Amino acid sequence: MRKLMLALLLGLATGAAGESGAIAGDKKPLPLPTYGQAYAPTTVDERGIWMLADEDERRLQDSPSRIKDPELNAYVRNVLCRTVGEDRCKSVRIYIQQVPFFNASMSPNGTMTVWSGLLLRVRNEAELGSILGHEFGHFELRHQLRSFRNRRTGSDIMAWASVLVRNSGDIRYNAWGQIYAFDRAQERDADLIGFQYLAGSQYPSSAAADVWDHAMLESDASAVGRRGSARHKYVAGIFATHPTDLARATYLRTASIEAADVKPAIVDRHRAAMAKWLPIFLNDQIKLNDFGGSEYVIGCLAEGGWSGALLFARGELYRERGNPRDLVSAAQFYQEAIAKGDAPPEAYRGLGLSLLRSQQIAEGQAALATYLRLKPDAADAALLSTLVSR
Amino acid sequence: MGASEEKVGMIRTVHAVLGALMLSLAAMMPAAAQEKTGLKPGFVLQAGTARIVLMRPSIRVGAQSTGGMYEPNADWTDQSRDNIGSALAKAQGGLGNSVRSYVEPVGGDPMKTAEYHALFETVATSVIEYQFFKGNRLPTKKRKDQFEWGLGPDVRKLGGLENADYALFITTEDHFGSTGRKVLQVFAALARVPITAGVHKGFAGLVDLRTGELVWLNADMQMGGDVRDADGADKRVRQLLEGFPGKPLDVVPAVAVPITPAQAAVTPPAH
Repeated sequence: MRKLMLALLLGLATGAAGESGAIAGDKKPLPLPTYGQAYAPTTVDERGIWMLADEDERRLQDSPSRIKDPELNAYVRNVLCRTVGEDRCKSVRIYIQQVPFFNASMSPNGTMTVWSGLLLRVRNEAELGSILGHEFGHFELRHQLRSFRNRRTGSDIMAWASVLVRNSGDIRYNAWGQIYAFDRAQERDADLIGFQYLAGSQYPSSAAADVWDHAMLESDASAVGRRGSARHKYVAGIFATHPTDLARATYLRTASIEAADVKPAIVDRHRAAMAKWLPIFLNDQIKLNDFGGSEYVIGCLAEGGWSGALLFARGELYRERGNPRDLVSAAQFYQEAIAKGDAPPEAYRGLGLSLLRSQQIAEGQAALATYLRLKPDAADAALLSTLVSR
Repeated sequence: MGASEEKVGMIRTVHAVLGALMLSLAAMMPAAAQEKTGLKPGFVLQAGTARIVLMRPSIRVGAQSTGGMYEPNADWTDQSRDNIGSALAKAQGGLGNSVRSYVEPVGGDPMKTAEYHALFETVATSVIEYQFFKGNRLPTKKRKDQFEWGLGPDVRKLGGLENADYALFITTEDHFGSTGRKVLQVFAALARVPITAGVHKGFAGLVDLRTGELVWLNADMQMGGDVRDADGADKRVRQLLEGFPGKPLDVVPAVAVPITPAQAAVTPPAH
């Protein structure tokens, strides 16, 4: 019986490897699927998971964390359409969620969810396009359906093993491993098909690897900020849902070197599209209590020069950590932000509070008074005025 | 896409838990220890007068794979939605109450509606967890003959509920055991391991729109009635409405919270 189980497992394993092997080692890219408008699911399984996805989409539509700003939505849609093509992108609905983490996801029915943390981190249209192309790849390759079936087969094997085989722990552990390996292979497929969309678009294909380089640098910075040490492995763990960042950066970089595309530079609208939301997304990021990561993200955004909004965010970040030296730095950042002329009135608030906590009472009170003058109906006005008239 | 570490960790935990659930070979729950129906003490629904709005029911029907996974089935779900709708109208019509489905008014606030759906679900699961299950009662829910839960009085401001007295929420979930699951069950029984085939659970709740109070809740984790056909749906609806206040249906409430005469006298008459 154990032999039978192992044979079954091997079958599952080779099935999974077959999926990935086609991509992993070879040189020729996966062919782009043929495009069909308004695809309708056919089999029982597929219709079932589409039904669940439709229900989820109803919830998503009315979700309080959804960002409905038409301009931001139009921008993200535009990047998707520029990446995968005008006809393909019509089958997708995009929902931007105000969630300050680096992620996006795709439902089998064409619902694409983009988290605000992703928009904050990508530095240009091409990087955003590479992620959206990856998600679109999941949709076009019907990954959720295949993953669902693979999970079902795997859990069937586990159930039989637990009934029929004595001490079936190893078999079940392996079956779980196979399920995750299958999913990782799908992620890799989606990466590579996303890469192909990017390479075929007006965006430089090197952006796909840039995303993962930055993801690794951010996790390094985050680990240092938490007094840990970052390690990047090439091989994913047995229960990892995705290939490691290092693996993704490596194979996407290889692909972009092979593609060697030279394209005319485009006018990048990412910053302009984000301008209105940047302070809000930065505020969300700072509240994550991830000093190193936030400092890295702000630093990346400041590559083209420090703006008032970025300096203000950095001041807030330092003031929140609140070591005596941080308060001195924070006060400096607020002052620089104010000197730029485009800082929000809250810069005076932060400046005042930092100075007060650094025992610079008179200057601190003056800054708070300025804040109260600029924003007399602030929610915390009553509280702050007690600090001013002390 | 690339999940941050926390995300990956979270997903992993969820999967681990799912796996444990799927493979838990023990019988799922000690159903005997659990109450199924809660009724606000003293509450009586005047039969033949109530205007009840049925909020969009959450209905999920599918199969259960050999390993215990839920396999959603769109056709079965559609059939069940129709069957349960007509069975409900029949059952309430017999009481003389009017039941109509909730229609989101044009220019309404779908976000608010979605929030109330989510709130009801949370409150209902709290009732099941912290009141129906005796061993797990919250200190404030231990007093006898007490049923004090609600969605808040603002629920009446929800657009589309102006001409209604009560809102009825219904949730059912069915995973019909597949052939593979049943065969596994037989083999497991030979090995003296109990395995359940099929999940059939549901709950229904009635909210008084004037006060926002949850006046009645019925939950059953092992329901009968095949919702895929009309007769089964009738049976399911009868079970869902077990202990429904007002004129009793042909099913007598099994473990309804009893109302003592004293309390009935103290509490103001129900509207």
